[in-house]
Amino acid sequence: MTWEGFLFLILASSSLGYSGYRFQTLFHVLKNHRGKTHPLGNWAERVQTAFLDILGQRAVLRKKIPGIIHTTIFWGFLIISIGTLEQFISTLNPHWSLEFLGTFYWILMGLQDCLTYLVLLAVLAACYRRFILRPEGLGQSQDANRVLLLTGSLMLSIALMHGCELQRDPAWAKWMPLSRGLSYLLENGNPELYAFGSHFFKWIHMLLVLGFAMYIPHSKHLHIVAAGPNTFLKNLKKTKAMRTISFEDPEVSQYGASKLTDLSWKDALDYYACTECGRCQDVCPAYQTQKPLSPKKLILDLKHAMQDQKETILAKNYEALPSIIDLRVTEDVIWACTSCRACEIACPVFIEHTDKIFDIRRNLVMMESRFPPEVQTVFKNMENQGTPWAFSPETRSDWAEGLSIKTVAENPEIDVLLWVGCAGAYDERNKKVVRAFASLLKKAQVKFAILGNEERCTGDPARRMGNEYLYQTLARSNIEVLQRYQVKKIVTSCPHCLNTLKNEYPDLGGHYEVFHHAQYLAMLIAQGKIKPSKNYEESITFHDSCYLGRWNGIYQEPREILRSVGANPVEMKSHHQESLCCGAGGGRMWMEEHLGKRINLARTEQALETGASTIATSCPFCLTMLSDGVQSKMATQTKVLDIAELLNEKS
Amino acid sequence: MILVIAETKSHQVKKSTWELIHQARTSGHETHALLMGPSVKLAEELASGGAQKVHCVEHPLLEHYTNEAYAQVTTTLIQLLKPEIVLATHSACAREFMPQVAARLDVGLASDCTQLQWSDQKVIAHRPMYAGKAIVEVEFLGKGPQLITVRANALGLQPIPKTQATIVKHTLSLGPFKTKMAPLESAQARPDVTEANIIISGGRSLKSAKNFQLLEALADVLGAAVGASRAAVDAGFRPHRDQVGQTGKVVAPSLYIACGISGAIQHLAGMRTSKVIVAINTDAEAPIFQLADYGIVGDLFTIVPLLTEAFKKLKT
Repeated sequence: MTWEGFLFLILASSSLGYSGYRFQTLFHVLKNHRGKTHPLGNWAERVQTAFLDILGQRAVLRKKIPGIIHTTIFWGFLIISIGTLEQFISTLNPHWSLEFLGTFYWILMGLQDCLTYLVLLAVLAACYRRFILRPEGLGQSQDANRVLLLTGSLMLSIALMHGCELQRDPAWAKWMPLSRGLSYLLENGNPELYAFGSHFFKWIHMLLVLGFAMYIPHSKHLHIVAAGPNTFLKNLKKTKAMRTISFEDPEVSQYGASKLTDLSWKDALDYYACTECGRCQDVCPAYQTQKPLSPKKLILDLKHAMQDQKETILAKNYEALPSIIDLRVTEDVIWACTSCRACEIACPVFIEHTDKIFDIRRNLVMMESRFPPEVQTVFKNMENQGTPWAFSPETRSDWAEGLSIKTVAENPEIDVLLWVGCAGAYDERNKKVVRAFASLLKKAQVKFAILGNEERCTGDPARRMGNEYLYQTLARSNIEVLQRYQVKKIVTSCPHCLNTLKNEYPDLGGHYEVFHHAQYLAMLIAQGKIKPSKNYEESITFHDSCYLGRWNGIYQEPREILRSVGANPVEMKSHHQESLCCGAGGGRMWMEEHLGKRINLARTEQALETGASTIATSCPFCLTMLSDGVQSKMATQTKVLDIAELLNEKS
Repeated sequence: MILVIAETKSHQVKKSTWELIHQARTSGHETHALLMGPSVKLAEELASGGAQKVHCVEHPLLEHYTNEAYAQVTTTLIQLLKPEIVLATHSACAREFMPQVAARLDVGLASDCTQLQWSDQKVIAHRPMYAGKAIVEVEFLGKGPQLITVRANALGLQPIPKTQATIVKHTLSLGPFKTKMAPLESAQARPDVTEANIIISGGRSLKSAKNFQLLEALADVLGAAVGASRAAVDAGFRPHRDQVGQTGKVVAPSLYIACGISGAIQHLAGMRTSKVIVAINTDAEAPIFQLADYGIVGDLFTIVPLLTEAFKKLKT
């Protein structure tokens, strides 16, 4: 081995040894997390996802410009790494080279050459974005600046190396089309200088790579190692359910997450995978209305808290760990979330923010009894009356008076059970929606019935507010009733009920085919059982409910219904997956909004900006929030209606 | 010995304190009373009204209730007098300081009890659970005083002999405390929404804080409280303490007049058990009319002054 090879061996082993040690620490910290994660398995689908989302950069490319910048750097990094590896090996053994690959080798060389300049361009574009455009979500970060500087320097060193190489040996020229340009600039005719230059820049490149390797574990660039696995191991469920706690397990004495390690290893991997791109923050309703919650900051705060507590976690000294709330995350942050999932859907590396928030709420509520005072009333009402509002179970089916709607006890021969939900049962405004829907079902001659006074709240508000125990109590009693009547198919007007019945009851043994009325009505129209007249002439905009859209992927059906009456919905500034929450999810419907601007006003403003004279909704909470918003804005000429009401008018 | 924590209001011993003293006397235990803060007159009232010994602690820091001072005095006196049982009314104050006393003494506390059952040195306290659907019988284990707070009006007054008890004055050095009592605001002339028999409530359609004067004028004629919907509170027209609804105060007056309130479920959840509900709203479709016993479809800006005039006439 030459002295150069020897020197390289020492440098490389120290750098990689150090970085390996850091990675090992990161791995052990992750492994010492004790919470449960979503089920793994389903490997075939995971491989497919890996191809599309990692190699194909599908999720990253959802945002065009930054997506293209990132994809260029990502693929440049992959291809150029092969060349870097070759440099490493050939420094150790000067006789070794990849040339045995023949033409493929030369194509690879050409590709590397082109990508070097493309990546340089991408780095410049990224700098332009970061320093000139300064999008808010990206923030200012020395760490990110260093990474850009390093990436740029890496590419520059390759370009200069190629330039010198071409002057030394022009035979390479046809494989390095872009470096040819650079090499003309370097022309001065001293062959020895070129040999030196080529060698010098190769060393600069290798040293930068070794330096980078040591820097990665400390930085946001950790994502180049963690984002891949995080994407591969992501929650594959298309419709989301919260993690279910087993109260029967005698081993479990901690419910929810008090300490960092009560969260799962996958949560920790989420922190490592975070690229700090800020897409989550850009779409967060709480952040947009000046609440203390930013999903990006939450993840970074948890990551930094974990790094601060690294030694304690490594020593498995769980007792000595401070609670999460005493570290960097405050209670206001945890209660500000509306569980709208805009952050999760926007995240290019599939971080799940809401699970962490839910787990922290669970600890606050079930272990420490710490929650906003108005939440107490909600829990008490749900416990005693089976509804979050203080109304009696005896009056639950009063909305149906005079409509001759039978209960399933009176009429068990049904196509589908109409799940009314508390808003539909007790709220005067939402009673009209349920009546309209029931009238449509009658027009379509659907055989349906209700549970009547035997129905209880699904438990969703309690669950979202961290009271899993209360949720399970209500859920089990509902499942028992549904079981008694052998209910198989359910339709409901409430997306929150839909999500709980469809995605969350299965964990407790309740399996049903569940539809939202948007789906059911779209189906009845398609079957020709409802024939709307297509004469709706006013302008209309549609507000996507979070639990219908992001939680359950239902975007088209409500719009189809609007089109079926001849309306042509105008979209608001944010819609479909990026729709802005009305502010009522995650139990926020029953909490005071003390901080920042009211979310329902922000959404109402977006709706009013479209100039539409009607705002259509598909969720009782959205209907309430937007009606309130329209009144606050004194825009009383604007109507807020549920799609079922619109369709009923026109059928 | 039973120690009763006395509570006073506008220079009188509260009825709920007498209930505790009467209960303690009928149980056969020696009954002492602890009076924190106010004057000699009240101590004498207690000394002649049934207590067998009255312990008085006077201190400038006890002039107004603070939880730190009350907890410290009560703890010190319990340590000094070593009573077997300590009774306090389940009032807003006791709810706050009695748990502290229990924690400082490391003993149990049965709160919000409605019945006491006596046997020898022990007492079994009955406390309702699940909004009164079940009653728990609480018995104290271990040594140390048995701390109980009792719901007002639950025990009732009993005939007991008058006493001529001695009054013992204790001088304690109090503090240091983290809280300081700011000068009290002068009390509202109008009753609080939770206590009022009649409530006039306004919504966002009053358009400004100043316009609530319309409702206040009507309230003053009827001796009513003025409430507000969440929308009006959010808009800054009224303070949060006036908010009626699920996330504000839950009220059940004999008469509730809702002016310009549409009747969102969040509001109805806080007032639907009112005996008579009157709604005034321009929108005949407003949900509040579904619940109202009497409805007036019209502009509150014309209707409320008419009502005020009419009630004024009735009164004279």
